[in-house]
Amino acid sequence: MTAMRRDLLLCGLFAAAALAWPMVSGLRYSVTQTTFFFIWATVVVQWNLVFGISGIFSLAQVALFAIGAYVTAMLGYYLGTSMLLAMPAGAVVAVIASIALGLACLRLYGPYVALLTLCVSQVLYVLIVNDTDCFTHPPAGCMPLMGGVRGFSRFGDLGFRDWLGSGFYIGNYYVGLALLTAAILFSILIIHSPMGLAFRALRDNPVYAAARGVDRFRYQLWIFGLSAFFTGLAGAFYAVNTGVVGPVVFSFPHLLFLLSMIVVGGVGTVWGPVIGAVVLMVADELMRELGDFRDIGMGLILVGCVVLMPKGLSGLFQSLSARLAGPAASAAEKAK
Amino acid sequence: MDQRIHRRGMLKGSAWLTGAAALLSGANAALAQTSAEPIPVGQAAPLTDFAAADGVEFRNGLIMACDEINALGGILGRPLEPYFEDTKQMGDATNVQAVQRLIDRYGVHAVINGYNTGSGSAVQDAIADAGIIYLHNDTSSGHGVLVGEDPERYFGSFQTDPSETWYGSGLLKFLSSLTEGGAFTPANRKLAIILSAGTYSSNIANVVREGAAALGWEVSLYETVNVPISEWGPTLSKLRQDPPGVIVVTHYFPADLAQFMVQFMTNPTPSLIYMQYGPSVKSFRDIAGPAAAGVVFSTVIGALQDEIGLDFETRYKARFGADAGHNSGVQSYNAAWIWAVAAALAGGSGAPGDEAQNRKVAARIRAMIHRGPNGTTRFLPGEQAAASYPGGTDDPSLGMPHQFLQIQDHQAEPVLIAPWPYAKAEFVTPPWIKG
Repeated sequence: MTAMRRDLLLCGLFAAAALAWPMVSGLRYSVTQTTFFFIWATVVVQWNLVFGISGIFSLAQVALFAIGAYVTAMLGYYLGTSMLLAMPAGAVVAVIASIALGLACLRLYGPYVALLTLCVSQVLYVLIVNDTDCFTHPPAGCMPLMGGVRGFSRFGDLGFRDWLGSGFYIGNYYVGLALLTAAILFSILIIHSPMGLAFRALRDNPVYAAARGVDRFRYQLWIFGLSAFFTGLAGAFYAVNTGVVGPVVFSFPHLLFLLSMIVVGGVGTVWGPVIGAVVLMVADELMRELGDFRDIGMGLILVGCVVLMPKGLSGLFQSLSARLAGPAASAAEKAK
Repeated sequence: MDQRIHRRGMLKGSAWLTGAAALLSGANAALAQTSAEPIPVGQAAPLTDFAAADGVEFRNGLIMACDEINALGGILGRPLEPYFEDTKQMGDATNVQAVQRLIDRYGVHAVINGYNTGSGSAVQDAIADAGIIYLHNDTSSGHGVLVGEDPERYFGSFQTDPSETWYGSGLLKFLSSLTEGGAFTPANRKLAIILSAGTYSSNIANVVREGAAALGWEVSLYETVNVPISEWGPTLSKLRQDPPGVIVVTHYFPADLAQFMVQFMTNPTPSLIYMQYGPSVKSFRDIAGPAAAGVVFSTVIGALQDEIGLDFETRYKARFGADAGHNSGVQSYNAAWIWAVAAALAGGSGAPGDEAQNRKVAARIRAMIHRGPNGTTRFLPGEQAAASYPGGTDDPSLGMPHQFLQIQDHQAEPVLIAPWPYAKAEFVTPPWIKG
């Protein structure tokens, strides 16, 4: 079986298992938390394409996520746009913003890309929270253009409240599952395509890749644009799912939490970011009662993974399966 | 020391038992116990990050109230079991996720919060979806507007303190009373307003700015600062360039305000300094030290320095330590008592989904006039937010006092200088103005 077929099969099995989860679990809490997992996993799967596969140290993904969320909320809040239209619009704006960022980063390498993309994210955050001028005057008081510190709420939903009543969260769950499944499928297709090979070539040996005709300009714009669509869509869905968007989506701890998922799971692998998202979300949940020690615990997990498992959990699984397969393979060889 | 609270001790020891506790005790005795299963009650509070000093007190206030209520038999025999979720840096998105977690994970019957800054309507929507009760102290005019727009949907959401807009109008009235009464003669009629980004701070600042001219004040500086902030140099240099008669700081983080005072006192201007809320938290005096003396501040919710308030302070500090901030703890403490008494009178509280029972509880809350350590809580019809005295009503028995306090000795509790009849001391000219 080829690697691509294996990954597609795994994706199908994952989606099938997740389809049954709300019926098996029966607990609202586990269903709503799994919906958040779908959102974060979508972001890190796409981030992995830029960071892990293409080797571009971009920290823009959180900003793109926030742009998708803000555009969706603002369209709903100011223009009364249906969320079914506002969500793809948010994703498209995120793609445009990402391509612009990709252009700005073309002359930069390594940590300088990280600095520029982080700077853009933080500038957006500061602009939003420090805007105290009233753009409109709703009955509740002053509303800055981008919502200020409070952000936006009551901008609309996907209609599951009217359709499913108090079980509306199950509707959101399946939308989240569809989003993640599509994002993983997209990621598998990219990684195993000639385009994915070009990305890896540029990451591993940019000079040689250029000598073989791989155009860095074109491919960097492609990866920035492609990965931004699902990231923006995840942001748009986050807005609809939580019913509120505020500047916290730009925050640095939020960015680190998501980046840690890729590192813990395994940079540059198909399933690493998904595994990392599962592990860190479960760890975060288990340490919820520990107060400040929760952050310390998360830090220890990250440091432990970096020191003991440089290739992340997926790398560990691969080496373990290779070891297990090793004796069996050699025994089969002897029997021949 | 034995920290447990016993029923007999509660009934004998507390000065205000003729009120809420007696009501609860009576209801518990009159109505048959249906179940001894604990009632989960939740709180979403900033237990870590920059507002943790307040968040910890909100948690303490709820714990203390639950213990006292449990000592009287809980709610119709069912003890209260508090659960907490951290809102860290707060904001609507964080707050609503914390509240949703309380509902989904613990099945809380009520969410009883102190304040969470940046709250809009998201939490109220989550509460309405679950059909439970929500009492908070966000001090937001938006709450009343939201409830007024759809009182059916938001039947269970109550703001147990007055909205922030009373701060602005109350301050201007207070300044007029000081100057007209001769207690303070400003160096000039200039007013400098320093605010932080955010609806709470900017709403107060805007009310002061809009009302200043009518009372003879000229706004000489209106500056927004990025918070949290510890370096006040640029702002202070503007103030020193054109010293105003009064400096109004509507930002409210205790540590930030304390830093302002420390840096201001290196080269003070002859200005009366008014600050928002922060100086009511003990950490302000701890950080500012002697620089805190002379600061005037106000709060629309805080323990009064009367028989009931002082009794609460004594019990609170005996329980949580001499440095505990009872003025913050009173927010959730007061709200918990309101909910518990109403639930007992309504025949019990309702779990998520039991909207019918919680509508009965909400009806009792709306009808209630509750006297707690922070004065009277009475909900304005249509807004479900506490009325303010003297801004919103002339009758002190019908509104929560908007208290003006002054730190006259940084090692002692601030003294209450307004409003009548609660004031305990006169305003004293700050030491940096006296020279």
